[in-house]
Amino acid sequence: MNNHWHEQIQRYVNGQASPAEAGALQAALNQDAELRALYLDYMNLDVALSAAAEMMTVTEDSRTHIAAIPPTTIWSLVHSWRWLGATAAGAALVILVLFPWHRPASPAHHDIIAAIASTQNAVARLTVESPPLFPAWASPTDSMFNQPRILKFDL
Amino acid sequence: MHDLNDQHHDQFLRLFAAHEPALRTFVRSLLPSLADVSEVMQEVAVVLWQKFAKFDATRDFRKWAFGVARYQALAYLRDRARDRHVFDDELVGRLADEAVAAGPRHEAQREALETCLQKLPAHQRELVLSAYTEGTRMDELAAQRERTAMSLYKLLHRIRQLLLECVRRTVARE
Repeated sequence: MNNHWHEQIQRYVNGQASPAEAGALQAALNQDAELRALYLDYMNLDVALSAAAEMMTVTEDSRTHIAAIPPTTIWSLVHSWRWLGATAAGAALVILVLFPWHRPASPAHHDIIAAIASTQNAVARLTVESPPLFPAWASPTDSMFNQPRILKFDL
Repeated sequence: MHDLNDQHHDQFLRLFAAHEPALRTFVRSLLPSLADVSEVMQEVAVVLWQKFAKFDATRDFRKWAFGVARYQALAYLRDRARDRHVFDDELVGRLADEAVAAGPRHEAQREALETCLQKLPAHQRELVLSAYTEGTRMDELAAQRERTAMSLYKLLHRIRQLLLECVRRTVARE
């Protein structure tokens, strides 16, 4: 099909065709089945492009809508999820405390308990105190706890 | 009774949805402007639903719907006295018959369009979709792109021809 008819069909569908051009197109369409198929294919393309443009507009609108949600709202949503998580964790903790599972301790479990107790005792027996960060005279609060001794002289 | 109405409604919706794209293409082929198509299609849907109760289920819904669409499109043009570019009855009848027959081909072409649009350079794709966006005025679109309306039309013609050749080639290969 030559470019002339492509051009004429498009002028017709755009409403640009003169009455003479529309008449010539009609005469050609009446005689030529291949040209009618081309004409109908152009109409189908026209409708499909319109649908594609509408789809694009809808997609862009939904994107714009999401982008238009103020950051404070987004953060409040995030915070609400945090609260939900915290509430769930709290509820789980309460359940664990109120309804502890009493399972028979395995030998390995006993070993672990013994090791923890031994470590705690060892820590308690430690007598070495950690050295003070500052000397007593440099501490601003030392005088509050250790009252200065006032030397008294019996005269 | 309520179930019967629901079934009737569902049956109509299924049939109408299946044939709506082909009907729209046919209505478009009779109207000089894309803007008129939605209005006529609304009328077509209303009339088909109103008459569906009397529709003989053994008949071909597609042919029946095309008959209604043809009548509604021509009535629309007559009411608006915009029939100076309307094709004669003989050609309209041929187009209706051939549009029914071309249904599967047109469906395949519509599916191929997405791929063909992606093959266009981005600026051409954006231009053609902008031109088809509802409410777009071609003179404003031309001004935005610092072109004359005529040169914009020529560019759109070229893009549409490329797209049509692409979808036809794609469908022929399948």
